[in-house]
Amino acid sequence: MTEHSLWRFSRALHRAINDRHFEDIGALIDEDVEWALYGPIDMFPFLGARQGKDAVLEVIRQLADNFQVRRFDRESIMLGVDSAASMLRYSLTALDSSKPISLRVAQFAQFRAGKLTSMRVLIDTFDLVEQALGRAIHLPKMTSVG
Amino acid sequence: MTVETLNRQRVLHLLDAIAGSDLQAALSCCTDNVDFLTHAPIDVLPHMGPCHGKKELGEFWRTVQERYADIRYEVPQIVAEGDTVAAYLRVFFRKRSNDRIIQVDMAVFYTFRNGQVAQIREIIDSFDLVQQVLEREIGPLIVGDRVDGA
Repeated sequence: MTEHSLWRFSRALHRAINDRHFEDIGALIDEDVEWALYGPIDMFPFLGARQGKDAVLEVIRQLADNFQVRRFDRESIMLGVDSAASMLRYSLTALDSSKPISLRVAQFAQFRAGKLTSMRVLIDTFDLVEQALGRAIHLPKMTSVG
Repeated sequence: MTVETLNRQRVLHLLDAIAGSDLQAALSCCTDNVDFLTHAPIDVLPHMGPCHGKKELGEFWRTVQERYADIRYEVPQIVAEGDTVAAYLRVFFRKRSNDRIIQVDMAVFYTFRNGQVAQIREIIDSFDLVQQVLEREIGPLIVGDRVDGA
């Protein structure tokens, strides 16, 4: 039984972020990949949409510059023939402050011939921003129009 | 038909029922003790807290429909395996109060039991959602300003 492309990609991604080893991940990304990490790009420049392998590798380098993955747990995972979706719990360390950051992340990936062609990632970004700030953001409660 | 194909169709049927404001049909897709959890700031959006059971989930959906009209879903990606389905959704809501459109991308993970939805877990770009609901940038809050009640 052939290993699903997600597992190879996941291993290579974590190796790139934690060990700054980018060769393996580069070999697993399609030249025309579409990539989107949704979130506030003014606070986190590595978020946002990218197209093409070089742009995606640059994002992965930026992630490696900013974070260390301490631990991740897959809470839910679905594997299709050339696709995968998973919900993960990440424990990260922000390298500039050594601050721990805990994130819940949803990941939707598509592959062709073993290479990543599409990646969409959703994060509970309000929680991410509060953790990065180290304090709560005070907002009015939306009791009638939210 | 595989169980994956069937469950994928069940999710699309559930989404159609919600978009069509047919909450009875939507709830009939769910087990009696359906469990719903979305990750959003409930101090800002108190109706988005966890729901357990059809009654609470029905109240949540009813609250959403009282505030929004013309709910529309696009499903750019859906993956099913066994009793689980993950859907990447782009959802459009029209605010009844001022006709503004809110567009939210969300990841929804469904777990089925005996052909019914037993668990729903959502992840949303919640920072963007809050800004759209408040209809303002919340960047100034980050530097310490407070926003008056919306």
